Amino acid sequence: MKKRLLAYIALLGTLVFSQCRQLDLEPKGIMGEPELFGTEYGVKMYFTGLYNWLPIEDFQYYANDGYRRNDWATEKNSQGAMSGEYFNTWISVDNDGFGYWPYDRIREVNNFIQSFPNYKDKFPDETFNKLLGEAHFLRAYFYFGMAKRYGGVPIVTEVQNPLAGPEVLNVSRNTEYDTWKFIHDDLQFAIDNMSDDTKETGRANKYVAAALMSRAMLYAGSVAKYTESLGFKATELATQQGLAGMEPSQANEFFEYAVAAGKVVETGPFSLYNKHADKATNFASLFLDASSPETIFVKEYNRNSPRGNALQHNYDALMSPAPDMSSFVGAESFVPLDFMELYDMPAYTNPDGTPVRFDNRGDIRDGMEPRARGTMYLDGDELRGKTFSIQRGIYRTFDGVATDIQRGVNSAPINSNGNRILGGKGWTTEINGVTYTITGAHGNFEDQGGENNAFGSAFIRKYINPDMPTADVRDWRSDQSWVVFRLGEVYLNTAEALYELGQREEAFDYIAKIRERAGAKVVRPAIDMTMTNIGSINKANYTYSLEKSLQFIRDERQRELYAENHWWWDIRRWRTADQILNNFRQRLLSCYYVADEGKYIYLDEDNRFNRQWNASKSCYYEPIPWGEIGKNNNLLPQNPLY
Amino acid sequence: MKKLIIYSILGVMLLSVTSCYKADNWDAPSVRVHGRVIDSYTGENLLSSQNDWSIRIWERSWTASEPTNQNLPVKQDGSYNNSKLFAGTYDMLPYGGPFWPVTDTVKNVAFNGTTEQDFTVTPYLQLLDFETRLEGTNLFMSCRLKAPIRTGLPNLVEVKPFLSLTTFCGAGANSNIDIGEYSNKRIQINKSWQDEVGDSETSNVYTIGPLPVKAGYTYYVRLGANVNDANRKYNYTEIVRVDVP
Repeated sequence: MKKRLLAYIALLGTLVFSQCRQLDLEPKGIMGEPELFGTEYGVKMYFTGLYNWLPIEDFQYYANDGYRRNDWATEKNSQGAMSGEYFNTWISVDNDGFGYWPYDRIREVNNFIQSFPNYKDKFPDETFNKLLGEAHFLRAYFYFGMAKRYGGVPIVTEVQNPLAGPEVLNVSRNTEYDTWKFIHDDLQFAIDNMSDDTKETGRANKYVAAALMSRAMLYAGSVAKYTESLGFKATELATQQGLAGMEPSQANEFFEYAVAAGKVVETGPFSLYNKHADKATNFASLFLDASSPETIFVKEYNRNSPRGNALQHNYDALMSPAPDMSSFVGAESFVPLDFMELYDMPAYTNPDGTPVRFDNRGDIRDGMEPRARGTMYLDGDELRGKTFSIQRGIYRTFDGVATDIQRGVNSAPINSNGNRILGGKGWTTEINGVTYTITGAHGNFEDQGGENNAFGSAFIRKYINPDMPTADVRDWRSDQSWVVFRLGEVYLNTAEALYELGQREEAFDYIAKIRERAGAKVVRPAIDMTMTNIGSINKANYTYSLEKSLQFIRDERQRELYAENHWWWDIRRWRTADQILNNFRQRLLSCYYVADEGKYIYLDEDNRFNRQWNASKSCYYEPIPWGEIGKNNNLLPQNPLY
Repeated sequence: MKKLIIYSILGVMLLSVTSCYKADNWDAPSVRVHGRVIDSYTGENLLSSQNDWSIRIWERSWTASEPTNQNLPVKQDGSYNNSKLFAGTYDMLPYGGPFWPVTDTVKNVAFNGTTEQDFTVTPYLQLLDFETRLEGTNLFMSCRLKAPIRTGLPNLVEVKPFLSLTTFCGAGANSNIDIGEYSNKRIQINKSWQDEVGDSETSNVYTIGPLPVKAGYTYYVRLGANVNDANRKYNYTEIVRVDVP
């Protein structure tokens, strides 16, 4: 027995050792450079990982915590919640950001750009150029994600050897001007080399590169023009050295790039979405229709893909009220009056100051701009077989003017002595023998927190998918695509850049197209060159003056792009964030039933929780991540005010 | 048996705690630096708010890499104090406050034992003739602005009321009552001194109110005004105690 065992061990030993000679083989399960860079399909696989990590602020973006968070609560931490666009969970502006520093991805792109020419003979010229152009598009996108946060960053175009010494690896920052120019050059290369084939959804082509160019160059132009107004130059080394900030004289160059990029997009097969006769439905549908000719580039989601890949989202479950229209936590984002009144609105206060009497709560929708109704759900609108029902309370009698409510405080005489009745969910009250439910079915409840409790009068409609049955509206069940670029935005970019360049009429040609599709009452307002320093939201006092028509273009942007994660970046590049979010206490439009008249009124009130949004001037540049500075002192000086 | 288990568990726990103890080979930071920030116009301490801005220090005796700044917050009375610093030589600079930028960093101050270092700064604005007035439960506050240096003065931003129920009052104070009823009453100017005031060194009186206050409470109140420099911090009036009958 013992002998046999020994024999076995000896045999096994020989086998093991004899095998060793052949262990030095290329593993079959791992693809190397020839497989990936030598075929078109291989390159596509290589790029897929990069597309996944593009800095796109979509459904999965946490304003203070990064991309692809893969967390069910993303909508509570959205950029709109952080910047006062929604009345929502109170997230404040965190200037420190989340240390976005995607040099790992940039290295992957650089690796491709460096090695791909070795495989040139394996491709027709056109395919080779297309793929090389796509790599430049991807690299520009990552740099855009950093430039808008930090200003100037190190431009790394080579695959660094990790064993090279600190004199090679410790790169310095480039100026902000050079960084934006680098983004321009990469995108210009992409536009010149990529194909105009738009068939492949979710993948870039020359028009996508042009759309990114349009957005990025407008950002750069605004930074150049308005950074001076911040007064950083007196004390801040980073601004003095051109790392954070540019000169006003450099603005026009970038505005011209933005206009040129917009013209490239216009040569493509795109048009404003106009498939439905009803303009409100039309506007809401443009975000959901996969065949929309307005869409230039989407980030796709798929609910059937494996969990954990951040390829599903929770938008419907967290933007619609539970339990009627969502089977999950439910809605917590509402439209403040400040943003509602950017649109055409029906009068809710008479010239004599008294509130207008409405027969039905839903009558507030009459005379409202169709685009506004495509952006939000109001009382009387239907979703998933239920009707929105929103009311804050009851006045026994309302004998006075709207301002008598003193912004809604309990101590106002008209709100005292039981004249104004507020209540919790399902509470009733009896007045002269008649029983009334105090609130609507979807708010505003005094006994509830923020969830499923309509503060103000509107829920978000944009991007909501009405075709999902309520039972299915749960976590990780939504998979509508995020529209990254659409023609509407490019028109607005072009309009703003043109206006900044002094081409006012041409700018309003684009505004008129947008407003016509929106169903606005005045499609083309007259140009007003009066200077003002007062903005629309929060009546902000800007630190510089601008023509009223330029302010109109800025407002048009917000009307069109509300809830599409542009607002924060816009008020940042305009350098108005610290003034707009200066004690920005959102106002809410509240509906009341007037019992002795049997009518409804709408009143302008302060938000009940005294939520206020504030931003300081340090919000315009995030600090270069301190950990990176610890590794590489050449990244100093740090950005302004840190 | 049970006892044995309990004792051995106790013993293991005791060991696991005591094993953590090891004397640090580096003394705890114990050096103190303190001083005043002096208003060059009055010679008194600069009227400040808790936590509004800081003295920046850089430790120059650390040479292994470029030191990043530490911040010593300036207190409401215009003084600063930190007694938990490591000994060494430091550069010091009053930074980000409501005064004309200080460009000469004080270099190579030796922190050793107790160091006293005062700074003199030139405020952008002075708030003069501060008065408070109660009408029932409505408070009114007024002051005038004075800008001794007007060349290169950034635009005026606003005059803002600050109310508190503790003696700490100002933008940085935690006890500042931050409600719309008060902040909406601030006077937003956003004009240059020339456009708002003209050639004069001193402005007309700004009156802010009515600010609703509660009967029977004691408030500590002041006004602040700021200019549009990079930091937009406030120059303040002194703090006045208001007893609402």
